[in-house]
Amino acid sequence: MPPKYVIEGTITDSVGTAQVLISQTKDFYSNNNFIGITGAIVTVTDDSGVVTTFVATDSGVYQSATLVGQQNHSYTLNVNIAGQLFSAVSTMPVKVPFDSLFITTDASFGSSKKVANVQYKDPLGKGNSYRFVEYINGIEQQTIYAGNDDYTDGNKVTIELNNFGADDTTTYNKKIVSGDSVKVDMQCIDKSVYEYWYSLDQSATGSSQSAAPGNPVTNMQGGALGYFSANTLQTKSVVAP
Amino acid sequence: MKITKLILCVLFITICMAVKAQEKFTISGTVTAQKTGETLIGASIKILNTNFGTTSNEYGFFSITLPQGTYTVEITSVGLAPTIKNVTLDKNVKLEILLSEALAQMSEVTITSVPKGRSITSPQMGVEKLTMGEIKSIPALFGERDILKAIQLLPGIKSAGDGSSGFYVRGGAADQNLILLDEAPVYNASHLLGFFSTFNPDAVKDVTVYKGGMPAEYGGRLSSVVDVKMNDGNNQDYKVSGGVGIISAKLNVEGPIQKGKSSFLISGRRTYADVFLKLSKDSTINKDQLYFYDFNAKMNYELGKNDKLFLSGYFGRDQLGFGNTFGLNWGNTTATLRWNHIFNDKLFSNTSLIYSDYDDKITINSGAINANIFSQIQDWNLKQDLQLYLNNKNSIRFGFNSIYHTMRPGDVTSAATSSVNSSSLQNRYSWENAVYVSNTWQASEKINVTYGARMTAFSILGKGDFYNIDSTGKVTDTLHYTAGQFVKTYFNLEPRLAISYVFNSSTSIKASYVRNVQNLHLISNSTAALPTDKWIASTNIIKPEISDQVALGYYKNLADNKYELTLETYYKTMQNQIDYRDGANVYTNDPIETQLLFGKGRAYGVEMLFKKKVGKVTGWVSYTLSKSERKIDGINNNQWYNATQDRTHDIAIVLMYKRNEKWSFSANWVYYTGDAVTYPSGKYIISGQPVFYYTGRNQNRFPDYNRLDLSATCQLKKHKHYSSELNFSLYNAYGRANAYSIDFQQSTTNPDETEAVKTSLFKMVPSISYNFKF
Repeated sequence: MPPKYVIEGTITDSVGTAQVLISQTKDFYSNNNFIGITGAIVTVTDDSGVVTTFVATDSGVYQSATLVGQQNHSYTLNVNIAGQLFSAVSTMPVKVPFDSLFITTDASFGSSKKVANVQYKDPLGKGNSYRFVEYINGIEQQTIYAGNDDYTDGNKVTIELNNFGADDTTTYNKKIVSGDSVKVDMQCIDKSVYEYWYSLDQSATGSSQSAAPGNPVTNMQGGALGYFSANTLQTKSVVAP
Repeated sequence: MKITKLILCVLFITICMAVKAQEKFTISGTVTAQKTGETLIGASIKILNTNFGTTSNEYGFFSITLPQGTYTVEITSVGLAPTIKNVTLDKNVKLEILLSEALAQMSEVTITSVPKGRSITSPQMGVEKLTMGEIKSIPALFGERDILKAIQLLPGIKSAGDGSSGFYVRGGAADQNLILLDEAPVYNASHLLGFFSTFNPDAVKDVTVYKGGMPAEYGGRLSSVVDVKMNDGNNQDYKVSGGVGIISAKLNVEGPIQKGKSSFLISGRRTYADVFLKLSKDSTINKDQLYFYDFNAKMNYELGKNDKLFLSGYFGRDQLGFGNTFGLNWGNTTATLRWNHIFNDKLFSNTSLIYSDYDDKITINSGAINANIFSQIQDWNLKQDLQLYLNNKNSIRFGFNSIYHTMRPGDVTSAATSSVNSSSLQNRYSWENAVYVSNTWQASEKINVTYGARMTAFSILGKGDFYNIDSTGKVTDTLHYTAGQFVKTYFNLEPRLAISYVFNSSTSIKASYVRNVQNLHLISNSTAALPTDKWIASTNIIKPEISDQVALGYYKNLADNKYELTLETYYKTMQNQIDYRDGANVYTNDPIETQLLFGKGRAYGVEMLFKKKVGKVTGWVSYTLSKSERKIDGINNNQWYNATQDRTHDIAIVLMYKRNEKWSFSANWVYYTGDAVTYPSGKYIISGQPVFYYTGRNQNRFPDYNRLDLSATCQLKKHKHYSSELNFSLYNAYGRANAYSIDFQQSTTNPDETEAVKTSLFKMVPSISYNFKF
C-alpha cells in the first residue's frame, strides 16, 4: 500500500502552542513507531495575508514560537512536502469559558468508577463545537470527547468524560483512582474540526461494528490524512479524591 | 334446406352450450381440525381420478367448480388423518370438513400409508414453509424456540449473525423483509437486542416465507414476506399449556366462548433473569433491569353461517436498564380486526382493520443530562381482499390495501435543569395505497400460470418541511407544507408473474418474475440491528426502493414422496439503495437526507433443499451459493462492492430422530462464509494514538462461521388430560468462538504492536426447560 502523508496542525489562542506534525501511514503489521517527515515547508496564513513560517524542531515536528490565533479569524495551513502541496482552512471560534472540572463517581454498568466532569455554559445560537482532551498522570488518554450544541444550545452543560474501556492495564485508557492527577484541555473548535473528530471516533478507531468504517471527514485538501484545527485552549487540573 | 340445416345446427349448438352451462356446480366449505376447531390453511382438496383440486385458503375456506356428476373428494392436511367424501354434484354443495388426529398408535412422523407429496403444480415458487412441529423440534438458544431463527435454516434465508434476529433473504437487507402477524406489520421483531424474536411459537398456527414470486396481495418490502398467522383458539375444549425454561416462563390459555362457534386464546411469555439481579447485594447490580415480555390475545366469533369476526392483538416490550443512569425500553403493539364474509360458493371476502405501533425510548440520567428520547412509527391500515373461485381453471384474487403512517423520528424531553434542551424532530406523515388483481389459471393439464399486478401510490403528506440538497449534502432550499398537503406521490406498477410446467406427477419446473417496491427504510448507525434504528419514509429526495427478480426452479418428489428435492436460482436487481456518507451522523438534527448516499444493488444465487419427510429420522440439507453487491456513488470509489449481506456459501443440516414414544432428539449444523467487512489497510498516528486507514469497502471477510446445536426431549407423562416433557439443549455444542466483532487496537501487552481482537458471544450454552399441557 503506497504510504499517505498525515498532517496534524493546531494553532491556539495561547503563545507557544502552534504546532504541525507530519508523518506517514504504515502497514498494519508494522510497529507503532511512526517516523516524522523532515524537510517540509510549513506556513500558516491569517485572513489578512500575514504569513508565518513554521520551523522544524524535531523529526516531523514544525512549530511557531510566535503565532497566536485570534477568535473569529480564519487561518490557512499550507504544507509542501517534496513538491506535493496540501492545504486546509480553519476558523478559530469564540472562546467559551471553561467553568469547572471535578471528579464524580459513576455507579452503573455493574462497577463503580471515578469519572472527570467538565462544565461550561454554551452560548445561545447553534454552531458551537467542543473537544476535551483528558490527561491522567500526564499521559494523554485515547478516548475522543467531541460534541456540539445540537441538543444543548444555550444551556449550562455538564459532560462526564466516561471512558468505557478504562482498566488498570494501560496508562492511556486508565481507570482513575484516588490520588491520580487529572488534567483536561477544553478546545472550542470549528464545525469542520468537530466533523473530523466525530467521524474519526465513529469510523476509524478500529471497530468492525461501525456501519461505515472509513477515513474521517477532513478539512485537509490535497490527499493527506489528518486535520488543521484553529482552536481556543483552556486547561484545568484536579487531583482525584 | 340449407337455412334450416344452419338453424338446426345453431340451435343444437346453443342447446348443447346451454345444457353444458347448466351442468357446472360448486363444492365449497371450510376445513377444520376436529379436536381443536382450528381452521386449516393449505389443506388439499383433491377430486380423485381427475386433474382437479384446490387448497383451502388462510381461513380454511375452499371452493371448486365442476361439471355435474358424482365425485370422490379426498381432503388431507399435514399431520391429520385424511378423509374421503362422496359427492353427488347436481346442485351447489356445502361441505364442512372436520379432520381428526392421526391415529394414536402412529408416531407423528412414521406414516404407514403413502404420504401426500407436496404440490408441484402450483405456479407459486420461492416459498418456504415450516410446520410448527418442525419449529418446536429444532434446538434453540436458551431453549427458546424461535420462528425467525428456524427459517434461517432454509435456503436463501440467512442469519445476520449471532445476537441478531435480523435476517437477509436473497441478498437483501434486514429491513427488506415484511413481517406480518395476523396481517399487522411488525417493525422490530426482536427482543433483547436481537437474541430472540417476538413470536411465541405456542400461539402461532402457520409461518410462510416468500423469497421470490410474491403473490400480488403482498407488497411494501423488496426481499421477502414472512406471514405469521396465530392460532384461533380451541373452540371445543379449554386447554392450558405452558413451560419454564432457564430464562423465561410462558403460559397459554385457550378455549371456547360458545362451543363450536367462538373461542379465545391468551398467551404470555416473560423472562425472569432480572429477578436474580434484584437479589444481588451489589447496589450497582440490583438496580439493573433486563427483561422482555410478550402477550398475544385473540378472539374469534362466528356471526352466522357466512360470517366470522376475528380480533387479535399483540403487545410486547423490552426493558434494558443500568441503574438509574441509562434505560432503553422498546416494543411493538399490534391489533387486527377482521371480518370474513362468504358472499356465495365462489366469492370469499376478508376485510381487515389493523393498527400497528413500534416505539422506543432512551432514558439518560448521567452527569447533568436528564433526558428521554422517544421515537415511534404508527400505522392505521384498511385492507379488503376478495377471492373469486371463478371456475375450475381460474381463481382470481383482488383487493386494495391502504395504510396511513405517522412517524415521530425523535422527541427529546428533558428536565428544566438538564444540559439538554427539549426538542422534537418533525413528524412525518405518509399514505400508502395499493390495488391488486391476479388470476391463477390452469392453462392446460401441464401448465399453470399466475399473472397479475399490484399498483401502488405512495403519498408523502404535510405538515412538514422538506428540503433540496446539493451533491455535497448541504441544504439549498426548505419547502414548507401544511397539514394534509400532498408533497409528492410515487406511482409504481409491480407485475407479478409465475408459471409452472408439470412433467409428471412428481416433477415440475417453474419460473417467475416479480417487481417489488419499498417506501419505508430503516436507518441504522451500525451493522448490529438496534432498537433505536429509525424507520423513515420516502421523501422528495429519498426515492422508493425497487427490485426486479427473475427466478427459475426445479421440483421433484422422490421415492413415493418420502423425499423432496428443490433447486431454485434467482437474479435480483435493486434500485435506490441507501447507504451513508463518510462520517454520517444518523442522530443529527439536520435533515436525514444530508447523511445519505444512493445507488443500486444486485444479487444472484442458486439454492438447494433436500428433505426427508418420513421415517424415524427426518430432516433436511439446505445449501445456498450466492452473491450480493452494491454500487453507490461516494463509496468504494464508485465501484461495485460486496454488500454486508453477501455470503458465498450457506449450509444447514437439520436432523430429527424420534427414537420412541419417550425420547426424541434433534441436531442442526450450520456453516457459512464470514460476512464481508472493511478491514484497515494501514494505520497512522493522530493525537498520539494509532488510528486506521481504509481503502475501499467490504473487501475482506470475517472468518467462516459454524456451529452445532443439539437437543433431546423426554416425554414425561402423557395422559388424556395432562402431558409434560423435559427438553435439554446445547447451543454451539463444540464451543466454536465465532466472530461477533473484530476490532483493531493497540496491543495492551505490547503497545508497539497493533492487534486484531475477536469478540465472540456464545460458546457452549446448555439449557433445560419443562413444558406441560392440560
